[in-house]
Order: sequence, then structure tokens, then C-alpha cells
Amino acid sequence: MLFFGVVIWMIVWSIIGSIMIKRRYLARDLDTSNANFMGAMAGAALGPVGIAALWSRTPTKSGYLTVGLGLLTVLIVAVTFSFADPENICVTSGGFVASQFVNGLIIGIIYGFMALGLSLIFSILGVVSFAHGEFYMIGGMSVYYITAVWFPGVSPLIGVMGACAIAFVLGAVFERLMLTPMYHGKIDRPVEYGILVTFGLAFTLQYFVQATAGANPVKVQRYLSFPRWQFPEDGDPVWIKTSRGSLTLFDQVSISSPRLTAALTCIFVLLALLYLLHRTWTGKALRAVSQDREGAAIAGINPDRMNMLAFALGGMIAALAGALLVQAFSWLPQVGAIPAMRSFVIVVLGGLGSLPGAFLGGIMVGMVEAAGTGCVPDAQKAASYIPAYGMIVLTLTLLLRPTGMFGRRFASSTHGQH
Amino acid sequence: MKKQIPNLAGGMFLILLLVFPLVYSKGDYDYIMHIMITGFFYAILAASWSMLSGYAGQFSFGHMGFMAIGAYTTGLFCHYFYISPEPTGLCTEMGFFGQYLIVVNPIGVTSTTLTQDCLRQAMDVWGDTVKVTPMPVFLGILLGTIMGGFAGFLVGMLVLRLRAAYLALFTLGFSEILKATISAEINITRGQAGLELPPLYPDGITLLGHYYGPTAKLPPYYTMLGLLLICLLILTWLARSKFGLFVRALREDQDAAAALGVNTVRYKVLVFTVTCAMAAAAGAVQGHYVQIITPNMLFLLQMSLVVAMAVIGGIENFVAAAIGAIILQVVLELLRNSFVIGGVEVDMTIWRLVIFGLLLMITLRFFRNGLIAPIIAFFGREGVAEETVAKRSAGSQEAGS
Amino acid sequence: MIHLKVTNLHKRFGGNHVLKGVNFEVNGPELIGLIGPNGAGKTTLTNVLDGAIKPTSGTVYLGEERIDQLQPYQVARAGLGRTFQVTRSFRRMTVLENLYVPALAMGNTSGTAEMKEKAMDVLEFLTIDHLRNEFAQALSGGQQKLLELGRLLMLSPDVVILDEPFAGVHPRLMEVIYAYIRRVNEAGAAIIIISHQMDSIFSLSDRLLVLNFGDLIADGPPDEVKNDPAVIEAYLGSDDEEEDAA
Repeated sequence: MLFFGVVIWMIVWSIIGSIMIKRRYLARDLDTSNANFMGAMAGAALGPVGIAALWSRTPTKSGYLTVGLGLLTVLIVAVTFSFADPENICVTSGGFVASQFVNGLIIGIIYGFMALGLSLIFSILGVVSFAHGEFYMIGGMSVYYITAVWFPGVSPLIGVMGACAIAFVLGAVFERLMLTPMYHGKIDRPVEYGILVTFGLAFTLQYFVQATAGANPVKVQRYLSFPRWQFPEDGDPVWIKTSRGSLTLFDQVSISSPRLTAALTCIFVLLALLYLLHRTWTGKALRAVSQDREGAAIAGINPDRMNMLAFALGGMIAALAGALLVQAFSWLPQVGAIPAMRSFVIVVLGGLGSLPGAFLGGIMVGMVEAAGTGCVPDAQKAASYIPAYGMIVLTLTLLLRPTGMFGRRFASSTHGQH
Repeated sequence: MKKQIPNLAGGMFLILLLVFPLVYSKGDYDYIMHIMITGFFYAILAASWSMLSGYAGQFSFGHMGFMAIGAYTTGLFCHYFYISPEPTGLCTEMGFFGQYLIVVNPIGVTSTTLTQDCLRQAMDVWGDTVKVTPMPVFLGILLGTIMGGFAGFLVGMLVLRLRAAYLALFTLGFSEILKATISAEINITRGQAGLELPPLYPDGITLLGHYYGPTAKLPPYYTMLGLLLICLLILTWLARSKFGLFVRALREDQDAAAALGVNTVRYKVLVFTVTCAMAAAAGAVQGHYVQIITPNMLFLLQMSLVVAMAVIGGIENFVAAAIGAIILQVVLELLRNSFVIGGVEVDMTIWRLVIFGLLLMITLRFFRNGLIAPIIAFFGREGVAEETVAKRSAGSQEAGS
Repeated sequence: MIHLKVTNLHKRFGGNHVLKGVNFEVNGPELIGLIGPNGAGKTTLTNVLDGAIKPTSGTVYLGEERIDQLQPYQVARAGLGRTFQVTRSFRRMTVLENLYVPALAMGNTSGTAEMKEKAMDVLEFLTIDHLRNEFAQALSGGQQKLLELGRLLMLSPDVVILDEPFAGVHPRLMEVIYAYIRRVNEAGAAIIIISHQMDSIFSLSDRLLVLNFGDLIADGPPDEVKNDPAVIEAYLGSDDEEEDAA
């Protein structure tokens, strides 16, 4: 009861705060772009006091303040939850919380990485790829086929790289064959065309794999087994201990080898991608096209080639995520559906077309899912509702702030905004 | 004369559909009839979706969600509401005109064999002395249609500002939330176990002196075909009235339409309401026909079938979309037979869907107006095109002189 | 009697003050030119008058009716029509259908036959009647501009705002547009033309409004405005900057 009371109190004040602060900034002729969000956070965190403080010191608006207030809101919700349900495992066991936190972070990094591919495609082509989940599935399947069927005993590294290559080529070929007519005004509604044709690709790929590989789940050995090791040797508690399949911190937080290797690889590839985007000519050309298509074309960049590269790279990123997670989950032709939906949620939350937004959104979704599965009483119902939570976030974001956390308005109408 | 060819062909196709159940008499009668009924069901969905997405440009991925609203509304209504002449004393009940409206308590899935709901308990006590009447199926279908239309109205109001990719994602989200809710609220909806519905004609029906039982295929065939024809008539009427002109203007340029005096909000909401009500009606009738509904009908695969049928038929022509849906449904079923080539068994139950996906992509890429709509347009616009060419050459000569 | 009255109109976008208290009146079928340097607020003013965006403060009356809080379609029905700077025809509808949309939306024709007759009349006048069954996207840029003007005729508006009607139009079609403007004006409608083509504006209009950074700095007959020191400064000031830049 207490918990829901507090939540309702927060929602009411955040609505009031959002309206009042926006009005205030509007009346004072100030930049109102983030005012309603900041007002909402102040209202949620501190109630009328926060709104009054913000009101009286009007021009003090900053990103730090907003983020701080947002974190405070989360903290208050967590504290209230612990008072409302003191028996809950999330309140009684610090180790469990730490474990959920770390695992949520790790899976969130992988989610964010996958969503990044979707965002990359959107920022350059203006297409929401409905085949993103199928690229993920293809990645895992390719690793299985390379390491277990075609060349048994080959190093998993070759398998992962092979999966990336397959997805890259598939993406590039598909883009050349199917997406090229939408760039030059030959198609009346390019955004819808892009959605439909990637949808067709998803449909075809999923059943093609099912027809060739069968509907039985396949599994891949974990890529990396840790040596048995612990540090310090005879300490209490043991700080780090590894066994073959997992790594344990302080006897409390256990991270499985597949997830850890997947997350580390994702971070590594992400850094490589950032280097590509910011330091090489190709990457700069990509970013230029995403910001101003015509301008980039005048500057001597071939936007069509960048489209191909972006779609292939985006597909490859999804495939890499799949190739890394195939060692953790059993793989089916339908396995892409849930990650695809989750990626939609993440890119909308982070802002369609925003790369940092996608990554941060992924981490947030990973954490929330970990909290949702670990802490909510009536676990079975909570698990059934998990897809819905994400979609509620998606629909609310689209209604209230279609640009997401880090979104920008796209100048070109090919991105679906006018 | 040539202009009449599509009408003649359409009329003959319709007559064929009308007499088919009466003349066909092979052993697989029930199976073929089932395929046709499902074909009509998809035809209603494809036609209404093409009106919404192709004609009015509101690209929605939530059409199956509205279909499910129709099906679950009538399903829950028939499952939980009964009329009894005697009060049970156990259920929530309300007296009126000497009868009692009984609201049965939800008992979920696991307890069906262990515990009985309140009405069954009461009936066990009564024995055969009290006759409990279930709700009329027709009323359930009507309620389902209204609920679907209302949900369409609400979604239409919410998405006024969203376009293109944003609209597609929002409607997809709506559909997924609905699916998760139905799956999770097992106590009420029975989740994956499925909600059982009474048949379309619970007591059977006598047509032209011939009695058809509740599971006979002929009455639902004509019911679904009738619903399809009603939907197509409504859509045609709408498309030919100013409604059709305005929603097309809306698709082309919303701001320009508003500047010319078109109430864009009203027509956008209206097109959502009408097409979603049609989807809901189809879902409700189909639910009673197959007698069991599960949240699986909300899978993206189902939606992709409807989308593919509409696209292959012709996304901007709802008649073509409907015909495409019927033909594709039949072809998909015919392709189900697996065969063996060179010792390798080809499992056509899956491969046919691969072919279907490829066909969808090829149609999108090379036949933008679908495969059936251009045929209609070829005959329909024949004279017009010639006239325009003549006028244009005359006009250019004039300009040249 | 047409009477458009704009009083103390302000519009702010965030911290950007685009219209700073615009006042003017239109009485009777005047032919008015609205000019101003880029970024002066001409298009914003059009959008506020049309109802596409709401003013921060101020009022607009058309006759007795207050129109500044109405939706665009209500403004159109109240009798104010506009064209867009970038042509916005309904590309995949035929030329005739393009004309039917405003006619049906207004409901000011009785019956299809009369509507078609009126539409054909408009198309003949605009010299594009031979294209009546073509999709609008098949028309050239200039012809699409004419089509947009034709749609406006079907609306039978009292006040017409033409946003850059001469931009990118073939000289031969230019004559048609001049004739159009005169015809609409003689039929009793007030016209506000926004254009950068000074020759056309000065020769056509009876009265000029000059906007500069959201302020209406001049309002009067063209000859008078031409010699107004404030206007000269607004235009020459920008010329100076250009020279400096060069």
C-alpha cells in the first residue's frame, strides 16, 4: 500500500511539475526544450518542494541537475520499496542485489550493443529494420554451423568472425537488391517501403533457417573456460574466484563466462566502432550522411555507398550479439523476436538514430529487467509481463517525447518526421 | 466495354464462391471449407488493413490486436455471462424482469478439474430443474465489434501526431502489450491454455429445410463470406464518398489537406475506428467458428501474413487485397504437401512460407501496386489513359505553336 | 465586406521571439504585398494566420470571427486560404481529385455535376485542363503551382495568402498567375502575396507590408514604402553586410 501510495504521489507531482516548469520557462522566454522533463523529475523526487525550488531559481537548468533528480527519484522508489516489502530478497540480501546489478549491467551492455546497430541503420537510411532480430538469429546459427557442423573443432573465434562476415555480406546484398529504389524518390512512401521490405526479409530468413536447420534448438560450447584461480589465496572473503564456467566476486556476485566474454567483446567492438566513426574518413562520411544527406553528397561522399555500409554494419552488429550469446542460450529460428522487440524499445527510449542513446538505453533496460525479474513478488506473472513493460515504455516515449532521451529531429522527411 | 471486364470477372468469382459449398462434394469437403472460411477471415483483415495503411496511409502493425479485442470480447462475454431464472446465491448476480444475470467468477486454468466455478456448483445442486441460458453469440460479436471500434478510436486519437516509422512502432507496441496482458492474466483469459467459445450457431441452424449442426461448415462459410461482402461494400461506399477522397488527401499531405478545409483529425480517427471495428468483427466471428482463441493469434507472424496478403494483392486497393488474401490462403494450403526429390524430403510446410516471403519481397520491389490491383487498373483505366494521351499531345501542340 | 484585423500578434519559439507585436488591417478586396528580408517572420505570420501554429499572444479577427485559436481547417472554412512555399499538391491523386478535396470539404457546391463544371472551369482558366485525369506527380513544377492555386479557387476564400507564387515558375506560366491574381481580386477577395521578386510585387500590389525581425516596419502604398528610410535601412543594412562579407 505504502509503495503504491508513494508512486502515485510521485506521478501526480511529476505531471504538475512538468506543466508548471514548462509554463514558467515559456513565460520567461527561455529555452523550453528540456523543461518539462526536468520539472517532472523535480516533482517526482522532491514533490512540491522541488518544484517550488526550481520555480524560484528559474534559469538554473542543467543536464546534471536533471540527471541528479532522476537518480534521486529512483533511489526514493527503491527505499520505499524496501520499507513496503521488508521480507523481499532484494532488501534482505545485499549480495543478491549486487549480483542482479552486475548481471543487469552486463546483459544491458549486450542489449545496448545490439540496439546500436538498429540505431545506426535508422540514422543513415531512415529505415526501422524489422529484420534486426533475424540478423541476431543468423549470427548464432552461423557460429553453430561453422564450429559444430561444417568445420568441427575450429576455434570459436573463427566462428564468430565467420558469422560477422556472413551477416555483413547478407546485409550488403540485401541493401543493394532491395533498398536502393527508396533513395531517389522512386517510391512514394520510402519509410513504409523500408519497413515492409525488411519485414519480408525477416519472414524469409526465419523460415529459410527453419527449413534448412530444423526447428530443434541447437547449442554451442562456451568459448572460454577460465582457469581455476582465486585471489587472495586464503583470504576471507575471497575477492575473486574463478571456476571453469563462471567468475565470482566476493563470494557473492557470480558472472557466467559466456556473458562476461560477450560483454567484454561488445565493449571492445564498440570502441573499435567509435574509432571507425570518429577517426577514419569512412566513419566521418557515415556521420556526415546521417546529418545532411545532400550536403554530404555535395562534399563528394557517395551516400548510396554509405547506405550499404550502414545496413551491412548494423546487421553485422546484431549478428555479433547473436554469435556471442549463442553460447549462453539454446538457439532456435524464432530466437530473434524478443531481442528485436527489445531493440525497438531501446532505440525509441534512447532516441531513434542516436548511438549513445541506444547504448545507455540498453543498459537501463538491462538493469530494469534484472530488477523486475529479481525483486517483484509473484515472479510468474512478472515474467509474463516483461515484454509488456518494455512496450509500455516504448508507447509512452512515443507519445510524450518522440525524440527519446538523446534524440534529434531529422531534417529529411525520409526519416518519417515532417 | 473493356471497363466492364473486372466487374464481370468479379461477379463470376463471387458467384463461384456463393455456389461452391452447394456443388462441391468430395471427401475433403470439411477441410476445403475450413480453408475457404479462414481465407475469408484473412480477406476481411487484409481489406481493412489496406484501407487503413494503403488508402489512408496510417501504417499500422496493430491490426491483429484489434482482431484479438473482438475475439476476446465476445469470448469473455460468452464465457462469464449467463442468464438464469433462479438466483445461484454464489455468483455475482443481478435480477431483472424475473431473470438473473449471472457473472461467473474466474477460476483460472489449473483448477478446472479440482474446483468448479460458482455457476457449475449451483447447477450441480439444481440438477435439471433450472435451465441456464448462455448469452446469444450474435450479441457477443456485436459487442466485440463495438469494442474493437472503440479501441481503434482511442488509438486513432493517441497517434494523431505520429507518422511513418513512429506510428508503426507504436501500433506494434500496442499489439505486444495486449498479447502480454492476455498471456499474463491467466485467471481471466486462461492464457496459453486458450479460451473456449461456443460455436457460431450453438443450436445448429435450418437453412432451406436442411438442418445444419453446430459444427457444420456451411453456415459459418456463408456467415464469414457475408461479413466479407458487407465489409467490402462499406469500404467501397466509403472510398467513393468524400471520405475516400479526404483520407487519400490525408495520406498525401496532412497539412495541405487541413489548409483546404479538411477536418484531418476527424477523418484520421474515423478511418481507424471503421477499419479496426471490421478487424474486430472478423476476429469475433472467427473465434466462434474455431471455438478456441489463444494469445498466439497476436504473434507477429499472423500480422505478417495479413500484411503480405494485402501487399501481394495490392496495398492501395482493398478489393484486390481481399482477393489476394483468399487466393494466397488457398495456394498456401495447396503447397502444404511435402514431396521427395532425389531422396531428400522437402518439408513444404516450411518451404512454402519461405517462398511466400520471397514473393512478398519481389512484389514490393518490382510490382509496387501488388499483383492483382494492376490487372483491375489495366481494364479500369484503359479509356482514361487514351483520352489523356490524346489531350496531352493536343495540349503540347498548342503550346508549341 | 472583408475585414481581417490582426492585433498585437506575438509568437515565441522557446527563447526565439519571431513576431514582436504585428498589427495590420485588411479592408475590402485589397492586393497586398508582404515583403521582408530572410528570417523576418513572413512564413511564421502566414502559419499563425492559417492556424497551423498558435500565437503566443494577440488576436486575429476575420469579419466578426476570431480565428487565431481555430484549427487550420476551421480557418479555411472561415474564409482564409493559403498556398505553401514549397508546392504541396496531393501527388498521387488526379488533378480533378485535387480540386474536389476543397470543394467537398467546404460543401459549397451542390452536386457532383456542378462541382465538376466548376473544377473544369478553374482548370481551363489555369490552362491545365488537358491534364485533368493525370496524377499530380506527373505535372511539372510550374503546373503543380497552378494546381495549388486552382485548389484555392475551389475554396472560394475571402482572404488568400500566396507564399512565393512566382518562385521557379516558367515565364509563360507567370502570365497565367498574374491573370489568376487579378481574377481572384476582381471576384472580391483580398490577396496577400509573399515574394522575393520585387518587380512583380511592386507592379501588382496596391499596398505593401514590410516585416523585419518580427516587426512590421512599414505599411503603405508601394511608392511610399520604397522611399521609407526604415525599409531602406532594413534592406540596405543587409546589403552592407553582404558587401562586407564579399
